[in-house]
Amino acid sequence: MAKKLQENIKIDAELCTGCGRCSEVCPVDAIEGEEGKPQSVNVAKCVMCGQCVQICSAYDSPFEQYATSRSQRLKERNMPIVKEPLFAAYYHGDFFKVKKRLADKKQFSMVQCAPAVRVSLAEEFGMPLGSLVPGKMVAALKRLGFTRVYDTNFAADLTIMEEGSELVKRITEGGSLPMFTSCCPAWVKFVENEYPELIDHLSSCKSPQQMAGSMFKTYGASVDGVDAREVYSVAIMPCTCKKFEANRPEMKSSGYQDVDAVLTTRELAYLIKEAAIDFNALPEESFDKPLGMYSGAGTIFGVTGGVMEAAIRTAYELITKEPIENVNVTSVRGEQGVRKVTLDTGALKLKTVVVSGLKNVIPILEDIQRGKADFHFMEVMTCPAGCISGGGQPKMLLPVDGRKAYENRKSSTYQHDEEQRYRKSHENPEIQDIYQKFLGEPLGHKSHKLLHTHYKPSR
Amino acid sequence: MSRNLNSFVLADSKKCIGCRVCEVACAVAHLDTEIKTVGNMNFSLNPRLYLVKTPEITMPVQCRHCEDAPCLKSCPVSAIKEQSNRIVIDEAGCIGCKSCIMACPFGAIELIVSRQERVGDEEDRLRDEPEVVASKCDLCGGAPACVKACPREALQYVDMVKERTQRRIEAANKMSGFHNEFMVREG
Ligand code: SF4
Ligand code: SF4
Ligand code: SF4
Ligand code: SF4
Repeated sequence: MAKKLQENIKIDAELCTGCGRCSEVCPVDAIEGEEGKPQSVNVAKCVMCGQCVQICSAYDSPFEQYATSRSQRLKERNMPIVKEPLFAAYYHGDFFKVKKRLADKKQFSMVQCAPAVRVSLAEEFGMPLGSLVPGKMVAALKRLGFTRVYDTNFAADLTIMEEGSELVKRITEGGSLPMFTSCCPAWVKFVENEYPELIDHLSSCKSPQQMAGSMFKTYGASVDGVDAREVYSVAIMPCTCKKFEANRPEMKSSGYQDVDAVLTTRELAYLIKEAAIDFNALPEESFDKPLGMYSGAGTIFGVTGGVMEAAIRTAYELITKEPIENVNVTSVRGEQGVRKVTLDTGALKLKTVVVSGLKNVIPILEDIQRGKADFHFMEVMTCPAGCISGGGQPKMLLPVDGRKAYENRKSSTYQHDEEQRYRKSHENPEIQDIYQKFLGEPLGHKSHKLLHTHYKPSR
Repeated sequence: MSRNLNSFVLADSKKCIGCRVCEVACAVAHLDTEIKTVGNMNFSLNPRLYLVKTPEITMPVQCRHCEDAPCLKSCPVSAIKEQSNRIVIDEAGCIGCKSCIMACPFGAIELIVSRQERVGDEEDRLRDEPEVVASKCDLCGGAPACVKACPREALQYVDMVKERTQRRIEAANKMSGFHNEFMVREG
């Protein structure tokens, strides 16, 4: 099963012209083939970020004749019947799997949406690039029949509680430093593939997707008085690698597979269109509680620097026991592939590094191996602008619109942060509540079992 | 005869990598609605330039906007015209007879399902609208989308007046040294 899943990202040899643009963007040189000839993906190297899928512009031209019919191609990709052009680089979808389960009205389904989906989904319905639509997204999910519409952002807040405490613990009590974020599955897989000796540096925290999944099937199930076995847990993600993450054998803390299915932003749009829901006319509805309430810190996880900023907002207060002067830690925001920021907490100068684009992390990892690392905490996102630019996000017809889309999605993300009543993860009342009623304390016994994991070398 | 020669877009096969971005950009430039993402398309892309790939070369081919255009001459219903230094097809007048396709030495013309048919509702569609019409490069009214979109600058908008002038200057620069030398020796 795991083997098959790794072949998530594929290149259609009949459509590929061998232009090589995918290998230019591939951060791990996983694209192989002769120049000008159809390319293929080396599954052992591929981290499934889907950047090749985003850049490929070789499509099924109506003026050419192919041996494979369009319907066969759709079938191979697990796509519903659509009229849009099909491109050479693609990912395997899970559309039919989810559609079938949703049709079963007895199903108790819980869905979570990653922060980056609410700033991009509307693009698939003709709205301006980067439109912010959390309310309409919730309304659409309810009409699709999900029993509980929860949110990954809640779990992002939970991640900060655990990861912030883990960082403070490693600094004060010892442990592998610098500590690396582990939210991005493509980054985690990259460390496992290429730098297994650095695995201990990864935070033991699961990603927000997986934390949400295990919360759904434990706490969430108990809130509704249903058995974990009956819960169908779905995640809507900007990311093609999240499908792989959800199927990792480690991800069964609830006793069942914590996330049963992952749909990309694009696949959610197909579901909405197929159900003939008029997305643009939907009212704004709210996420269900408790697992759907989030702070501004949870929502900025979607952009590069977001995890770091959210962590700083909480870690600063954990360390100093004083409120942070300015919640907008703008120094960690930005465009560059590597940003180094030192945070003065009085007691400690917290040195941080934010990396976007996997290629940019290699020199830093080399430095760490040579014992030359002089910082505490590093956030790494595989995709160029963070998850807002993920492989499962709406695909632009033209590359110039891609840049515009990233910019707009980013500013919508920060706008959404500013709109939240709570801006720090530890101030989210539902987070406080879940620790009181269920988890106990960060890094406690229960959190350890449900929210943390261990990564192992893959070769 | 004082008439500007028609411009056209020409690809450099040494630079072209065959990514088809030009085709996508061309098709998008000719949609009647603004569409940014693939998911918003409910019809296929219909470009007006065509990537050609042989074992030796890779480059797109499109209309050359010929001065003595064979397509224009071959059209039995005068649906192809010369307008402000471009050869353009009047889609409304086209009967889809394919004469122009046969006449074009570049294979630069395609028959496409007419636009009304592609995007209109079944009911709205005019019954007497042609099923298919001839389609080819119209130079985007002077700002070619394909040239702008190419990531390798493999496409060039050839303005014959500028091109000719530029070549004459280059030639003059090269020849002047040679010629003076020659003159000196003669003297
Ligand atoms: S998969 Fe797409 S981007 Fe990659 S070489 Fe083939 S045509 Fe080019
Ligand atoms: S998915 Fe990412 S890692 Fe895999 S081949 Fe594509 S660009 Fe490379
Ligand atoms: S940056 Fe985000 S979208 Fe990209 S691979 Fe990582 S988790 Fe997925
Ligand atoms: S100039 Fe315009 S119409 Fe002609 S091929 Fe280029 S994009 Fe298409």
